[in-house]
Amino acid sequence: MKQRALTFLLSATLLGGAASLQAAEGGSIASKVEELGKMTYLKVSDMRAVKRDGLLRIQVTISNSSSDNQQLFYRFRWLDDDGFTVWEEEPWKPEVVYGLQKKMINAVSPSFKATDFRLELQAAKNDGAPLSGGSDHPAKNLNQ
Amino acid sequence: MTKITSTRLLLPALLALSLGACQTTSPAIGDGSVAYGDSKAVETVTTDLGSTDIQMIAEKMTQSLLQTPEIQTAIKKRHLLMASPVKNKTSEYFDTRMITDTILTQLQKNGVKYVIEGEDMQNQVDELSRQNQSGLYKKSKSVKMGNMQGAKYRLDGSISSIIKKNSSMKDVYYKMNLRLIEIESGIVEWSDEKEIRKSAKR
Repeated sequence: MKQRALTFLLSATLLGGAASLQAAEGGSIASKVEELGKMTYLKVSDMRAVKRDGLLRIQVTISNSSSDNQQLFYRFRWLDDDGFTVWEEEPWKPEVVYGLQKKMINAVSPSFKATDFRLELQAAKNDGAPLSGGSDHPAKNLNQ
Repeated sequence: MTKITSTRLLLPALLALSLGACQTTSPAIGDGSVAYGDSKAVETVTTDLGSTDIQMIAEKMTQSLLQTPEIQTAIKKRHLLMASPVKNKTSEYFDTRMITDTILTQLQKNGVKYVIEGEDMQNQVDELSRQNQSGLYKKSKSVKMGNMQGAKYRLDGSISSIIKKNSSMKDVYYKMNLRLIEIESGIVEWSDEKEIRKSAKR
C-alpha cells in the first residue's frame, strides 16, 4: 500500500505555538514510523502533527486492509530537535482495528520539550486474533 | 622442601583455574528461572487491573491535564496542586495512589508544583516538629513552622468496574474518572475519563 506523504499542519505559528516542528518537518510517514516486524494488513495511511500550546499533537490513521480485526500495539517516542529522547519510554498500548477500519490514534506529547517523535508499531502476527501472544509481541503472558 | 613448596603453589593455582572455568561471562546470577521483563509491555495475565491499565490511565490523564489552561497557568504562576485519594469502587484491591502518584510525577516533570497530603503528611509534620521543638537544631539553620503552602487545586476521582461473565467468556469494563477542582470555590475546572475493556475466554 502506498504511503501518503506526511502531512504536517504547520498551523503552529497561527495558533501561537512559536516553536516550530523543525525536526519533524518535511519527513515522510516512513521516517516517523518504526514497524517491529512486517505488518501485512495494517498501514499508516495518514499522519498529522501540530504544535499547539507548546505541546506536540499527533493524529495517525491506521488502515486495516483485511476484513478481519487486527491487534495492534503502539507507542510514541518523544524527541527534541537534536534527536534526544525527552520522555521516558511509553507503555505499549493495545488497540483493536476492526476489519477494513480506518482507526484514528491521537496523542499529545507528555512534555513541552518534545519537537519530534517516532511511532513504534507492532502487529506482526497479522492473524487478527487479539489474544494470541508470542515472544515477539509486546504483550506479556497472554494466557488467561 | 622444594617439592612441598611447588605443590603448595600448584594447588591454589589449579583451584583458581577450575573455578574460573565455571564462571560465565554473563553479569546475571541465577539458574535462569527468573528473568527481568519489559515494564512497559502489555500485560494480559488476567482481566484484573494491571500495570498496563495503570500506565494507560496515568498517561491519558497527564496528557489531558497538560492541555488545560488551568494547569498551564499553574505552571507559570506556581499554583499548587494536590491529589486526594482516588476512590476504588471496583471489586478488586489495589492502591489507587499508584495512579495519582504517576500523574503528579509526570506533571511535576513539566513544571507543575504539588504539595503532599495524606500519609506523607505525618513525615512532614514530624520533621518540622523535630527541627523546631526538639531543641537540637540551631535556630538560624532550621526551617520555620507555619510556612507551608496550601494547594489551589486538587485532583479527585474514582475508578469503577462492571464485570460480566458467561460460560465462555468474562468481560471487564473499567472506567476511571478524574477531576481537577479549585479548592476554594469547589468548581470542577477539568475532568476526563479513561475507559478500558478487557475480555478473557473461560
